Amino acid sequence: MLKSPITGNAFLAVILGCVAMAAGASQQPGPAQTAQHTAHQHNMTLDSGGVVMNSNTDVLPRDCKQFGPDYEFTVSAGTEFATDNPGTVYGFSQHEFLVEPCSRVTITLVNKDQVRHQWMIHGLPRYLYPGGMFHLEAAGGHSRTGTFIVPSDHQTYLVHCDVAQHMEKGMKGQLKVGRGSGDLWSIPGVSGNFLADAYVPEEIEWYVGLSAVAAFVLTTLLLLRKRFF
Amino acid sequence: MRTRWWLLISVLVALLCFPPQWYPKSLRLQFAQWFGVSSYRPLPESRPPAGETGEEPCPTDVLGWRDAQTIEGVEIRRSPTCVADNPHAIAAFVRGTNNVSHQTLMKSGLTPDAVVKGRDLDGDGDPDEIHIRLEVVELNGGSPELQQPVTQFAIAPGIKPGFWVFAPKHFGMDTENFQSLKARALLRLPSPVIRIEQGDQVRITLENGHYMPHTLHFHGVDHSFRDASGEGNDGVPFTSEVPVLPGQARTYDLNPRTAGTKFYHCHVQPHVHVMMGLQGLFVVEENRPNNWLQTLNIGAGHVRVPSQAVKEQFDREYDLHYMDIDSDLNNRIQRFNDPRLITESMHRRYDVTDATSDYFVLNGRSFPYTFRESLVIVRPDERIKLRVANGGSNGIALHTHGHTVTITHRDGIAVEPASRITRDVVWIATAQRLDLSLVTTNDGLNSYGSGVWLFHDHQSRGVTTDGIGPGGNISAIVYEDYLQDDGWPKTYGVNWQPYFTEAYYRRQTPVWESYAPGLFSEPRMDGWMIVRLLGFAIALGAVFSLVLVASRHPERW
Repeated sequence: MLKSPITGNAFLAVILGCVAMAAGASQQPGPAQTAQHTAHQHNMTLDSGGVVMNSNTDVLPRDCKQFGPDYEFTVSAGTEFATDNPGTVYGFSQHEFLVEPCSRVTITLVNKDQVRHQWMIHGLPRYLYPGGMFHLEAAGGHSRTGTFIVPSDHQTYLVHCDVAQHMEKGMKGQLKVGRGSGDLWSIPGVSGNFLADAYVPEEIEWYVGLSAVAAFVLTTLLLLRKRFF
Repeated sequence: MRTRWWLLISVLVALLCFPPQWYPKSLRLQFAQWFGVSSYRPLPESRPPAGETGEEPCPTDVLGWRDAQTIEGVEIRRSPTCVADNPHAIAAFVRGTNNVSHQTLMKSGLTPDAVVKGRDLDGDGDPDEIHIRLEVVELNGGSPELQQPVTQFAIAPGIKPGFWVFAPKHFGMDTENFQSLKARALLRLPSPVIRIEQGDQVRITLENGHYMPHTLHFHGVDHSFRDASGEGNDGVPFTSEVPVLPGQARTYDLNPRTAGTKFYHCHVQPHVHVMMGLQGLFVVEENRPNNWLQTLNIGAGHVRVPSQAVKEQFDREYDLHYMDIDSDLNNRIQRFNDPRLITESMHRRYDVTDATSDYFVLNGRSFPYTFRESLVIVRPDERIKLRVANGGSNGIALHTHGHTVTITHRDGIAVEPASRITRDVVWIATAQRLDLSLVTTNDGLNSYGSGVWLFHDHQSRGVTTDGIGPGGNISAIVYEDYLQDDGWPKTYGVNWQPYFTEAYYRRQTPVWESYAPGLFSEPRMDGWMIVRLLGFAIALGAVFSLVLVASRHPERW
């Protein structure tokens, strides 16, 4: 049976819910500007080397009584990290991050390419992280560092680069707090694609169709010969 | 029961079910002679209209982007149409993203190095060192998770062909926000119009964040074949340079000596990449003092900060970029996710020599969206400059209702005044640019007076969206006294609501239903006829089967 993309995964349910909302919204689009991402509302630094958004080094989420352990991850990003995963073009040096509840996570994003890359995580508590996101963006050849503190729930969070098609082409990861809440789809090296490509000749329909016809004819002839003749 | 009886029954059922529409005419006449004409049966009733309300034609300008405003000392003209560009981005394009406040930069969505303006080399009060950074963005692309395209850009209600566009370097998410799949306003078809001044030292860096190789080729823009460091500068993979691979960047140097309306596009597999949207207008303005140019015009259209040279002669300026789209090519990026499969499908399986265009866009949109943002707004007795480019694979026979236009420049090169021609249909071949002068003097030649006057490709397919009209590149010249406050024109014809539904362009709405619902609605299906035809088919199949069995087993007959 096909594993449902939302089974045991509240966060992907949120994503798919958003997608459904977006699909509904496309019926009545407001002006492009109304929903324009209002970056200036976030706690954010911006310069030509990149962006750090919603960094939080000291405020504990409400559900946490005390700090968990500190984690530091240095994540390299670029085309060179796609070579181990055929069919991807971009990648991170690490696509899965495991941390304990309430821990303080420091990410350093090192961009090995000459184009922008991001390390963005969604679904964090909105009262601490506007929009529920923590976001690092490094211009080509630059690096950016930021810190966030995760809540106590055992949950899996989406990590990705939101530059168009970068997530789809390999820059997708997951951060599991504690036991997590299952794997997300299409994490390179971790999980398969929900909509999987078929690696077959373009004329495969003909081959399948002709095979079915041949099987039908042969079976009919055999049956007629044995039973009726 | 014996086979022969079954056969008889089957033949009778087949004959009874055979519909009178299929009888030979002579047989029907013969029957009429014997039995008289058929008795009256009411024809199927009309279906009630679906009642789909669709989208709001003219969305409210919540952020006041349409208003005339001064940002960073840049006077930005009012954009009277419903949907206007982000004025903060316009101010940043004029001053340079390196010269504006942090707040303006944040509101523009651009990175500090998106458009860097440097020294004033000729001492005439405007910067002449311009460094532009462009990225390649995929719109309506595929995804391994979702059944619908991502980073969406609709050219008309519900129509989202895949595109690749050049876009200014920007920061943050490529969608409006995390709740949305829609591309943010900076990312759209067509690629932005680049505007620089004659003699400027221009550097354009292509940061290729796409998953295929690309280049920049400056068509008609004065550039050396190789740059000062000896690197290729023409963008052609097999004569000039190795293309910019995914994740890489490359800088092109230009120092244009001649002014005019030019073009730029990707030159990797151009029969595919140019048609995917990697093309834009490139305007070289004449050198003037204090000539602060709007270096990029997002989505083409109204130029809200025109150049000094244009202001000397014209009251308004519009960039009009036409394209046509073969959905069979553009939608291939949605069929697969693996770039190797996409590449094979687009560059080896797709055959452009068999192509037919389905969609026809002006400034990246088809009717009715063209009326939101690509109207040419005028007042009487004005002179308007139209820079028209045809980036499509077919020519365009551009016709203006109620007006004639005069061709002042062809491919950016001025036509001598004595040889200028004025007409109401201008032909623009693929990749050609025409500068048109539109004069709104009501003299029966230039203009027939105030109103809402269409302009469109007069070739029939160009006014459709995949064969459904009205669609395609229809837009209008609208006089301000025919414009509502919200930017929507005052029209006196039919209700537009059907055009703002996806159903209309999916061929599901009777085209005149809203005029006279009973008269022009779709009739209900004849359910009995469907049953009768299926009965005929089944009986016929049974006849063949029984004949076969009887021929093999005579003892069963």
